Amino acid sequence: MWTLPLLLLAVTILLSIPMSKYFAWIMDGRYRAPRVLAWFEERLNTGQQNWKQYVIAMMAFTAVLFTYGYVVLCLQPIAPLNPLGRSILAPSLIFNTVISFLTNTNLQHYSGDQHLSNFSQIFFILPNMFLSASIGFCALSAIIRAFRGEATVGNFFVDMWRVVAYIYVPAALIIGAIFIHEGMPMTYQSEQTVTTLEPASMGVDDHGAAKPQNIIVGPVAAVIPIKMLGTNGGGFYGMNSAVPLENPTAVSNFVTTFAMMIFPFSLVLMFGRMLGRIRHSVVIYCVMLAMMVGLIWWTINWDTLRPNPAFTGTSVERSYQIADATAPGGHRAVVLPAVASLPVDQSLGNLEGKELRFGTSAGAVFAAVTTDVTCGAVNGEMDSLNPTASLSPFIGMWLNCVFGGKGVGMINLLLFLIIGVFLAGQMVGRSPEYLGRKVGAREMKLAVIALLVHPFLILGPSGLFAATGWGTGAESNPGAHGFSQIVYQFSSASANNGSAFDGLGVTYGFNNNPNPAPEAVPLDIATGLVMLFSRYLPIIAPIAMAFFLGRKKVAPASLGTMRDDTITFGVLLLGTIIIIGALLFLPVAALGPLAEHFGPIPFGG
Amino acid sequence: MLRSLKVSLLLMAFAVVITCGIYPAILWAFGQTFYPFQSNGSIVNGPDGKPVGSLLVAQPFTKDEYFWPRPSAANYDGTASASSALAASNYGLRDRVARTIAPVATYAGGPKKGQLVASDVDIWFDADRYGGKPGIVAQWADAHNSLAQAWVTGDAAHGAYVDAWSKTHPDLVAAYVKANPGTPQPKASDLAVTFFEHFSKDHPGMFPSAVTQKDASGKAATAIQPVKSGSDIETTFFLSWREDHPNVQLQNVPGDYVTASGSGLDPDITLENAEFQLDRVAGKWAQDLKRSPAQLRQEIQAMLQKQAFSPGDGLFGEPIVNVLQINLALRNRYGAPS
Repeated sequence: MWTLPLLLLAVTILLSIPMSKYFAWIMDGRYRAPRVLAWFEERLNTGQQNWKQYVIAMMAFTAVLFTYGYVVLCLQPIAPLNPLGRSILAPSLIFNTVISFLTNTNLQHYSGDQHLSNFSQIFFILPNMFLSASIGFCALSAIIRAFRGEATVGNFFVDMWRVVAYIYVPAALIIGAIFIHEGMPMTYQSEQTVTTLEPASMGVDDHGAAKPQNIIVGPVAAVIPIKMLGTNGGGFYGMNSAVPLENPTAVSNFVTTFAMMIFPFSLVLMFGRMLGRIRHSVVIYCVMLAMMVGLIWWTINWDTLRPNPAFTGTSVERSYQIADATAPGGHRAVVLPAVASLPVDQSLGNLEGKELRFGTSAGAVFAAVTTDVTCGAVNGEMDSLNPTASLSPFIGMWLNCVFGGKGVGMINLLLFLIIGVFLAGQMVGRSPEYLGRKVGAREMKLAVIALLVHPFLILGPSGLFAATGWGTGAESNPGAHGFSQIVYQFSSASANNGSAFDGLGVTYGFNNNPNPAPEAVPLDIATGLVMLFSRYLPIIAPIAMAFFLGRKKVAPASLGTMRDDTITFGVLLLGTIIIIGALLFLPVAALGPLAEHFGPIPFGG
Repeated sequence: MLRSLKVSLLLMAFAVVITCGIYPAILWAFGQTFYPFQSNGSIVNGPDGKPVGSLLVAQPFTKDEYFWPRPSAANYDGTASASSALAASNYGLRDRVARTIAPVATYAGGPKKGQLVASDVDIWFDADRYGGKPGIVAQWADAHNSLAQAWVTGDAAHGAYVDAWSKTHPDLVAAYVKANPGTPQPKASDLAVTFFEHFSKDHPGMFPSAVTQKDASGKAATAIQPVKSGSDIETTFFLSWREDHPNVQLQNVPGDYVTASGSGLDPDITLENAEFQLDRVAGKWAQDLKRSPAQLRQEIQAMLQKQAFSPGDGLFGEPIVNVLQINLALRNRYGAPS
């Protein structure tokens, strides 16, 4: 039960130490590349850039990647490697999918096994996964260089090349080899057809012949390593890492979970190494770790150690007094009737939507980790988590800095940190400082703008969709849970996470689909826009902030300086994150998961 | 800016060459050379030497001689993985699980300990009283509109039966339209609740179900008719029966016997689940082979023990059994089921 999360954390922490050393070594350019690779690197090197040039290069490349993705997805019907004849996706779905993969979100309004050819999997999914993951990594590197007070922040193209060629590709090859060994398919074919062992158990066709079972295969073992390492999370199959061909064994599940954790863990330490302030980064690391341990514990406690409340029942009826001005006495009684239990052995916890081969607590651990590190892969159905357990993925996405995505998680934490030192400065009556530099009005403005983008883009659209048919027409579960489904979709889009409460009707599918989900188009467009804004604003504003902060004079530390490498500082940081997070999101949590938990189960008929 | 765009294009080109060309090609060569079985989907052959399934993808089994996999929200379709996406608060989850339990539910205590509940559901249904009030079917349809509608849309024959009924009851259809002016031309599914309310009045203690009969010429024909008992009633109304008998002790069924997996393709069941099914499996093989059930039970039990494995060698979880693998072993050892 607890072996899996403990072993995972131990291995990841241990390996993040040498990994962070390697990252810093690469990003500081202290390596000598083999001649072939160096040739490519020289072609890309346009010289040192200041922060504006760096951002412009980033946006220019984003435009190229966006156009490339659009073209490739549109080519699907005429491109090779498409023996199953997959046709073109609906326009709104292409828009959503291109942005989704460009922004490292991988929110999937389609199902990979039903809607994509191997051509699209290789030429659309793969490069997007490598490149979008690298953009966050590069942004963090630029911020670190700005903090160091350097006038130039490196070269975007060289940084991209370093991350892709020297970090992601070698790591993905190693992980991919392990996955193949564990049973993941790696072929350019699309489908295997088998006759079932029990004849005609799949049913018979119109001519009375037994139907075969068709099984989708493909270059799965190439997609999944980078899907996890890059905290992308977009599955080859519709049900992502729950599908046995995408996650065959307990070992592959362990490696899968490890692979999404290792980069976000290492990047925090890389921050400290490159700044020369290891102790400071260790404090940040411990704050993040404390939050992650708490969230993993919460999910296991409420999902693996408790039964699914759908089957347990309550033996006595419950009665509540609710304030109601129109009722006599100002109160109205609400009675929840007794519910009969069903005879189900739930000693293994909530098994609805879980796979058995990963181990007892694996579904809960994965649900917590995938939202903490904004990966968004799932190895079970999030919709079927126990209501209280589902708070954990919500919290992971709302805070968005429990290690967070590669680079961006650390960047988000820096925003909380700046606000934390500002609050602390106000409390003791000193002007706030970070890294020995005074935090001024301009830096505060940029930090707050970047921080507020996230709740604004979650709560605004969630409210709009919950109030209109756009959202209610897509809900698949009743009552508070239906509301949770809408909030989850926008939280996932804004956190660039990509997991979902899958019941929500979001799939248009192929352009010629006669029966698309009724509200697929507004959801495609709205989540697409949310992903785009929530990705780039919180990257660009912090780069600017880091530049303005970095060019200030360093004041020598004195007795009154607040040290940033102590436990006190860690507690301050943790407190800031929890208080700001709770202020922003507690009301919506009360309306969603908490209301479902305390309300009647089952809800209605 | 222009320079940035030019270099961006160059970076894009390099990236495509590496990540779409070289990188997957290396893994493909590695996989096809060293692990061709895994790389092509873990396909195993049946007794006739033809591919019979993937060890990683659940396939349906319905015969009593075989172990059954977990319920699948994807109908075991290897091209469209799916979970149920049912929340704990969704009545649909409770209903689905109750229907799965119904045929195997047994008493855990009392004078009937060990006996199946199903026949008592029939007797209770025949009395036609739920919650102390008459009309089980009408109450059921009233409380669970979506289930009543699902019955109508779930089978073409059901829809036709309701259509035929609505033609003979124009007054009720007119009353429905009056109450629902937004639906001037109600479809069969719209009329589901009205239909069941009146069915319950006309046929107390009965439920429409498919009945196969031989007609005058000796040909078998299936038609929907009101019936008093049978598996349709036992599964559909097990949950209502349970709600009327909340304190009766029932034997627990294994969790994974009734819950759908995340992918709909989970190839394994727990060893506990397999042992829960063992009596049925061994009994049926004994019938087929005309051998002693106790002896077969022992043999199959030994096969289960041999095949069972634990996630992470027992570090992470409870013992499980691969359904296709054990059924293939049964098929190879005992031949084709009758």
